Amino acid sequence: MFGQANVLAAGQAAFPPSVEDFYLPSILPWGAHDSYWFTKITAMVWVAVGILIIFFLATYRKPQLVPTKKQWLAESIYGFVRNNIAVDMIGHRGVRFAPYFTTLFCFVLLTNFFAIVPLFQISPNSHIAFPAVLAVISYVMFNYVGIRHHGFVKYFKNSLIPPAPWYILPLLIPIEFFSTFLVRPFSLAVRLFANMFAGHMLLLVFTLGGFAMLSANAWLAPVSVLSWVMTIALTFLEFLVICLQAYVFTVLTASYVQGALADEH
Amino acid sequence: MAGDQNPRPTGGPDDVPTGAGQGWTALSYLIGGMLVWGFIGWLVDQWLDSGGIATGIGVVLGMAGGIILVVRRLGTPT
Repeated sequence: MFGQANVLAAGQAAFPPSVEDFYLPSILPWGAHDSYWFTKITAMVWVAVGILIIFFLATYRKPQLVPTKKQWLAESIYGFVRNNIAVDMIGHRGVRFAPYFTTLFCFVLLTNFFAIVPLFQISPNSHIAFPAVLAVISYVMFNYVGIRHHGFVKYFKNSLIPPAPWYILPLLIPIEFFSTFLVRPFSLAVRLFANMFAGHMLLLVFTLGGFAMLSANAWLAPVSVLSWVMTIALTFLEFLVICLQAYVFTVLTASYVQGALADEH
Repeated sequence: MAGDQNPRPTGGPDDVPTGAGQGWTALSYLIGGMLVWGFIGWLVDQWLDSGGIATGIGVVLGMAGGIILVVRRLGTPT
């Protein structure tokens, strides 16, 4: 961490930031460069899981009728996901999915939020592995729920055969298959990953760019200050993207579950 | 299931996705249509050596299919 600051001050940081900058040195074994078993990213995911478990356990240990401040916070997060996502999208049947959606929303929100927390400053979701696993969970869940609700044959009939005359069905079924079963998990994962990746990259470009200009020519100092001001502005933009992507991921998962549960047309 | 039905504020039909979900569904139909049938057309091109005609026909067909799907799945809820 201080090593990074020294590198920046000496103007030795490689300016155009690259994908390499997303692969942080290993923690255990300390400082190894080609070992990815336990890195800062891994640590952050565990920290996020720990924070969420402890937060919800602690706030709901002694629930009061008139909620305390922490209990109010936890209840409003849960209430928001339950009422504004689960029930809004799925209807009364959505209530039983609310606990999962809340967990998903909080986890994505918190891990995204690490992108702009000082000292963390990178989101685990900027590595495609984490969004991919979340997307696979959503994918398996909505298919499982649909198959259990309708039965195997009826579920696929519902989701593959649109209400249309028989002679255009051959044209439509491949599109339905592609957009329901192939694109969905992919687009869920890529949307979250690309947003967090691009956000981190932008912040790197403007921060490192400031140092690069400063060390290239002292007369460029005002421009590098401008670059750092941009970094601060972009941090606020990042905050917006962080909340939006957590919301979108949860809403789309809810929408897929809703589609799987929908009655036939 | 009849006992636990809460009255829902929106009386809309259950099977129409709302808001964001609907937008993404429409987008994926339109793009997916072009990709799927464009790809099938491309395969036909490879097979018959028809120099891209089949790909073009496939993309146009796929666009038409995507539009039909958007209208049928997301259009006027009956």
